[in-house]
Formats: sequence, structure tokens, C-alpha cells
Amino acid sequence: MIGSRSRIAWRGAEFRLLFPILLLVPLGFVITNIALAGAPEVGDLTLAVGYVLLFAGAHLLLVVLGHRGDQLILPAVGAMGGVGMIMLNRLPQDLAGTSAFGLELGMAATQLLWFGVGIIAMLAIAVGLRDDGILRHYKYSWAAVGIALLAATLVLGYEVNGARLWIDLGPVSVQPGELLKIVLVIFIAGYLAETRTLLTSASVRIGFLSVPPLPYFLPMLALFGVVMLIVVRLNDLGTALLFFGIFLTMLFVATGRRSYVLIGLVLFVAGSFVAYRLFGHVQARVDVWLDPFADPLGAGFQPVRAIYALGRGGIFGEGLGQGLVTLGGNLTIPFVHTDFIFTAIAEELGLLGAFALLGFAMVLVFRGLRIAALARDDFGALLAVGVTTSLGLQTLIIIGGNTKLIPLTGITLPFVSYGGSSILASFIMIGLLLAVSHRSGTADRASGS
Amino acid sequence: MIATNIRRLGVYLMLAFAVVSGSITWWQVVEAHSLSTRPDNPEVLAARRSLLRGTIFDAEGQVLASSEVIDGLSRRTYTDPAMTHVLGYSSLRFGSTGLERTFEDILVGQTDPNPIRDLVSDVLARQPEPRDLTLTIDRRLQDFAAAQLGADAGAVVAIDPRTGAVLAMVSTPTFDATPISGDPDGAQEPMDALRNDPAEPLLARARQGLYVPGSILKVFTAAAALDAGVISPDTTYPDQPREEREGFVVDGFTIREHDLGGIEPALWPLSEALQVSSNIFFAHVGLELGAERFLEYARRFGFCGPIRMGPPERALSVTPSLVTGSLDGDCGPFSGDVDLASASFGQGQAAVTPVQMALLAAAIAGDGVMPDPYVVRDVRAHADGDAPADEILDSFGSGGGTRVVSAEAAAATRGGMVDAVNGELGRLYAGQGDITLYGISDARSAGKTGTAQLGGEQAPHSWFIGFAPAQEEATPRIAVAVLVESGGSGSDGAAPIAGRVMAEWLRLSGGD
Repeated sequence: MIGSRSRIAWRGAEFRLLFPILLLVPLGFVITNIALAGAPEVGDLTLAVGYVLLFAGAHLLLVVLGHRGDQLILPAVGAMGGVGMIMLNRLPQDLAGTSAFGLELGMAATQLLWFGVGIIAMLAIAVGLRDDGILRHYKYSWAAVGIALLAATLVLGYEVNGARLWIDLGPVSVQPGELLKIVLVIFIAGYLAETRTLLTSASVRIGFLSVPPLPYFLPMLALFGVVMLIVVRLNDLGTALLFFGIFLTMLFVATGRRSYVLIGLVLFVAGSFVAYRLFGHVQARVDVWLDPFADPLGAGFQPVRAIYALGRGGIFGEGLGQGLVTLGGNLTIPFVHTDFIFTAIAEELGLLGAFALLGFAMVLVFRGLRIAALARDDFGALLAVGVTTSLGLQTLIIIGGNTKLIPLTGITLPFVSYGGSSILASFIMIGLLLAVSHRSGTADRASGS
Repeated sequence: MIATNIRRLGVYLMLAFAVVSGSITWWQVVEAHSLSTRPDNPEVLAARRSLLRGTIFDAEGQVLASSEVIDGLSRRTYTDPAMTHVLGYSSLRFGSTGLERTFEDILVGQTDPNPIRDLVSDVLARQPEPRDLTLTIDRRLQDFAAAQLGADAGAVVAIDPRTGAVLAMVSTPTFDATPISGDPDGAQEPMDALRNDPAEPLLARARQGLYVPGSILKVFTAAAALDAGVISPDTTYPDQPREEREGFVVDGFTIREHDLGGIEPALWPLSEALQVSSNIFFAHVGLELGAERFLEYARRFGFCGPIRMGPPERALSVTPSLVTGSLDGDCGPFSGDVDLASASFGQGQAAVTPVQMALLAAAIAGDGVMPDPYVVRDVRAHADGDAPADEILDSFGSGGGTRVVSAEAAAATRGGMVDAVNGELGRLYAGQGDITLYGISDARSAGKTGTAQLGGEQAPHSWFIGFAPAQEEATPRIAVAVLVESGGSGSDGAAPIAGRVMAEWLRLSGGD
């Protein structure tokens, strides 16, 4: 382990940022508890304290083990997750939960449990991944793992809302797509790091477009095609869009060729159009997007209700705990804890709160890009770009869907939406970022000292 | 080189975040207010379910609608079925209509009429407080007008031509809105009955009913032509006496006079033409005015588009009235001279609402200024008892209006309308609109009848528009439009109702 051989690394910036953020989380719990009880009662703060301890512990471990990685990422994650925990704690707790190992956990408690699992995974990767050879050299094995995950989903998966994304593993259900995302990023990073000089220098001109030399390009394209086919087969449009975005972005960063992105976008538009014509559910979703008010009580119910919630929030928000979450015993917005968690936050914290959340995500993204730019080698850079893009695009796609900027797709807002697989995958990606960052020793610069 | 690409990626991502920020701002700031008033907004639904709703009072402070919360559910009670088509209903089951809908957010207190106080309440997260409305409508006149229509289907609209304040707006048949606004479980059956009723009681005829105007539209034709300088009060048409008997050939189509009831045709100027309601005279006037100017004046008077009664976002809407064939709610072009000549005497493809016709009368009564009509006078703090609170939060109706014709053109038209009720020839037609028949001795009324021919076996719709007091030097205090569906001739059905309503208002409003 690194820590055993390195000095303690005082992570001062991380401490100074994390401290106020972690203070605010219990405060948020208190405010929501008072608002919900309608009386000045502090209420149950167990989960808030647990959350604070998790992040404080993560910070301490990074210090003790001498981790010299980026110091702004963990506070940004802590802030996003904190807002999410406050909201999840405030929503009806029977929306989701676990009953396993003799435990009956509500939604927020289950989420906290996954934060614990995620943070352990993050620390293990951030500290334990001394050499990225295991990622780089076995990229085809990772690809195989990915395909296996997908195949498993196809065979064993069961459907939720028309998309077959879940595998039942006894006590927990997992979404292999979330982990597949990481495997895909690792594979593409490995492949591009190896072939990127070839892809950049040699090219074949067709008309005014220069296209990549096919022999170098085909293996990746083939794998990607298989993945996309299966994802589309699973009816998971959000993931398809996300994967495509990650792929194009990494290709762009590796080659600097806008033409690749252009070709990709043309293919995407064409593919979308074909999908629109061929698949009823795609068409339905686009039609709802174009005019949700056409059927406000039917197909447009969710987006219309989300838009109303945004409007209710206004600039200042209705206040924590004071949003209109249920109406006559039913949720005003179905899936408020996953697909529409952003809307619930924007309702209670207003435009200011929404911008703050977006700001935390931007800190995460731009620190991630900085880590990529400072990475010691191409693989590290591309890996960092891949995971950063994944987290950033997820944020943009789901908020864009919540605000009717693009058609709604069911993907999670990293660290905020309820969902164990998503939380775990997001923390693994943070672990990868921290590992890349540690190896380039960016910590000193990050602290500004 | 990778670092450069990453920097470029950073710029693209920054742009993407900016776009997303913009879309959040769009809903949370730009659209926030208009979303808050939409009736299927869960906030509105929730408020309607549980929040106390403000009381609605008439101009004299009489309760028209009030709410109480029973077992956590807000129930609405209406005191006067004659008011239903103005107030609308607020049903837990069927949503809301009328003023209950346009003032929804204010009634339940989710918006303060004052934007600054609204912002302060927002910051302080104040609980919503219901607000009360006071209308311009006087319940006594409203009930009186409704009683005059009795079992007939029709409408009475009365407006103060000086301010645009609506004094009465009755649509019959009407219904009691309380059963569909009370217990949500018991609301379905009465609503089904209303929906299936062939008499269409759910239709607010005064605002939403489109009817052939018949001869009342001659008032418009006269005012427009006088204003354009096409005619003067003394203008006559030499061929008119002959054409009264033989017909007036336009484009090969013969326009015939209605039954003059034994009156001998003569060379009639404007006053006499209005008194006997000569179709031939007004066909000439319309053709001389021309299609283009006819349409231009129609638009000035508010035809060819929706009319708003009240402040923009909270207005009761009035279906567009038309003088030609409809083109997406707008007036299309005239199909030819026959169409234009027919519209000039209120037939052809003309179709109008009673509100539009009351505004026509009000424009003549107001010396050529058509007032902006409004129904809600002010918003007040919620009253504890049955009397309106003193604290006025917002008030409407600035007394503004639009000049549609010159004062001279209005005066000449008014003269013709006074003669139509009181003149030697006119008495035979519109004499029933004379307020002196109904206990008023010191004032005269002006008016015009309309008998809207529908073709076939159908009995014509009966119309009257007018205003009072109308003697020289007097400033009219009420302008009315009365429609009785299939009520026969204007003089039989509508004129006596209009006369009584005007007389009643002069009595109620006293000598001021």
C-alpha cells in the first residue's frame, strides 16, 4: 500500500471545504424534520451523523495513507451526496429500501449503506491502484467482462418500466449497466492510448472528410456496436445516449479530430431518426417531450408534473421539507427519488439551490478534466476524461430531461439519485480519478500552496 | 496534444452546463408564474382540495360564493344561480371555470396581486391567505335581468358606458353550481345531467354564444359610415324608395326589404332608415363604405378577435364576433358585394356575441369611445363575516377605452337610436324599449331592435341594443344588449326586456 511507504499528506484544502459541507448536512436534516413535523423538533439525525462520519473517515484515511490526489473532488461529491441524502430522507421512506440480513432499512438508510460501500470501493481504488497495468493491459478481458455483464442482463434481467436493466442477486438487485459503463471506459481508454498515434497520423480521405484507417478502428467500433445493440435491445435509451457521448468524447480527446465527432453525430441523428420511426416507445417518448401538455394526465403526466414543481420552486424555492411531494396520498411526481430527484431539489431549494447543485457538478467535472490534463500518461488522461465525461454527461442528460431540454431518459444523477448500483459505480469512478491524480502528484497544486 | 483537446472539451462542457442552466431558469423564473395558474397544476389542485377559498361579493357587498373546509376538503357554496356563467364553478372533480379559474391563484392566496408583496411572501415562505373578490355586477340587476328572460334561452349584458364596468351579464338557461362544487363524490351525477341537457345550460351564452345579429348591426354600419365621411345624417339614396318595393339588385342577386308592416316607403335619411330598419338603405351604405373599410371598422369595434373582460392574464374570454366567414377565429374576406351588403344590415355571415353587441351600444353611448369591459372591481383581504373587508389589495378598471368613431359620428348615430325608440315611425318597432313605459318619467332611452332571420322554419332570434338616459345633455349610465333565442321579432322579445332592465338600473342607481 502507498500509505505504508509514504509520509502523511495533510490535505488542508479538502479539510477546509469538507468541514462546512459536512456541518450543513445535519442542519439540512434538522430543517426538513422541523418543516415536516410542523414543530421545532430536531428529529432523528442518525443518518446525517452517519453520512458525516463516512466522509470524515474517508478524508482521514486519505490523510493517513499519504494520498496526494486532488482535494476538491471529495468535497464536491460530499456536497452533491449531502443534498441528495437530505432530499431522500425527506421523501416518503417506503419508496424504496432493503430488507435483508434481518434488517429493515428505509430508502435513505439504504442509500447511506451504499454510500458506505461506495466510499470503501473508492478508497480501495484510490489508494490500492498503484499500477494501472491491470487496467491497461487486460483491456480485452475487461471488454469480455463487459459483454458478459450485458449478456447476463439480457438473460437474467427483469424489467422495470419497460427497460430490462436489473439482475436479482438475492438480497440486492443490481444494474449491470452502471458497472458496464466503467468497464467500457477502461477498455476504450486502453485501446485509444495504444492506437491513438496511428489513428491520428494515418487516415483515409473520402471527399472532404478524413476517416480513420479502418483496420485500427474496427475492433473498437465492433465492440462498441455490440454494446449499443444490446443496450438498445434492453430499451435503455438513456444509457445508450450516455455511452455514445462517452465514446465520442474520448475519441475526440484522443485524436483531436472533429470529423470523427461529426461523423458520430450524423450517425447518432440518423440512428435516432430510425429508432423514432421503428420503435413505438421511442416515438411516444419524443412526442411527450415535444408537447407534454397534450396529455397532461396520461403520457405527459410525469414531465408536466416535473415542470410544475420547477415552477413552484421559483427563484428561492419553497423551503426544505415544504415542497408538494404528495397529493391526496400519491406522489405528485412518480419516480421523484430517482429520475426526478433534481426536480424535487429545485422545487424546495429553488433556482439558487439548483444552480448550487449544478455548480458542485461543474467543480467535479472541471477538476476531473484538470486531472486528465495533468495525467502522467495517455491512458491515465483518457481514463480520467472517460469517467469525468460519464459523470458530467449523466448530470447534463438527466437535468436536461427534467427540464424538457431533451427527451426524458431514465438515468441517475450521480451521488444524488437513489440507487445502489449508481452510487457504487460513481464512487468507483471517483476512485479512478483520485488514483490518476495521485500518480501525477497534483495534490500540491490543488491545495494552492 | 491531449491536453489541448481536453481544454477544448472543457469549453464544450461549459457551454452544455450553460444551456442546462438556461433551461432551469426558463421554468423557475420565466414560466413560473404562468405555470402557477394552470388548473391542472398539482399545487392548484392541492389548494383547491384543502385551502380555504376567498369569498366573491357583488358590487353591493352581497355574498355570491363562499367556501368552508369540511374534513380537510374545501367546499364551495354559490348563492345565486343567475351568477353561474360569470363566476364559473370550482369543483374538486371537474376543475374550475369562469372567474373561479382566472382568479384561482388569488382566491386561494397563492399569488399576491402586488408583485413586491408577493416576492416578500415568497422569501418569508408565508402560508397562503385567501383573497376576496368584489365584482362590478350588481346582484339586484343580475337577478332582475334573469327573471326577465325567465324560461327563455338568451342573454342580457349591461355595461356602464362611462367605465366599462359590467353591471349584469346573464346567460340562460343557467344552473346551480353548488352540487358540482361540493362533495366530490356527489358531483358526477349533476354534471352528467348538465352535459346531457339539450338546452345546453353549460354554455355561457353572453360570452360564448355566436348569433346572427340582424338589424342591430345597422348601428355599427351607420357609425362607421358616418365616421368615414361616406354618409351624413341627411344622405339619401334616390333609388331606395323604389327598391323598397322591387328589391335591390346586387351582382344579379335581389336584396329584398323585410315586411314594413304597412309603412309607405319614402326617401329616408339615416334617422328614418334606422326607425323602420331599412335593409335597402344600409345595403347602400355598406357598399359605399366598401369591404376594406367595413372590416377595418369591425376590427376597431372589437370584432374579428377575442375580447378580454378584465386584466390580461385574468380576463374572462369572449368568443370572437364575426362579420364575414370565419378564418381561424378571425374575419375572412367578404365573398363578394352580396355578402358585404347583407352584413351591412346584420345578415350574411355575420355572427356576434351579446357582449360584443353591448360594447357596440356602449361605444355609441360613450360618444364614440368603446370602454374596456371588466367584471372584477377589486381584490381584498379575506373577510371574516358576510361583509367585504375594507383592505383593498388591488383594483381593476381604469375607465380606459378606445375611440372607435368620432364624437360627431357617435352623436348622429345616437340621434337615430333615440328616434328609433321614440320617433313616429320607430315607435312601431322599438317602442317597447322605451323606458318611460316602465315607470321612468324624466329620461328617454335609445335603442335598436334586431330580428335575426335564421332561414327555414326556425323562429328568428330577437335582439335589442340600447342605452339610457339618452335625451340630449344626458350622460348614459347603462348600455345593454338583450338576446332571446327564437324570441321572434326584436320588438316582441328583446325590446321590453331591455327597456325594463334599463329602467330598473336607473331606479337602482338613483339620480347620480
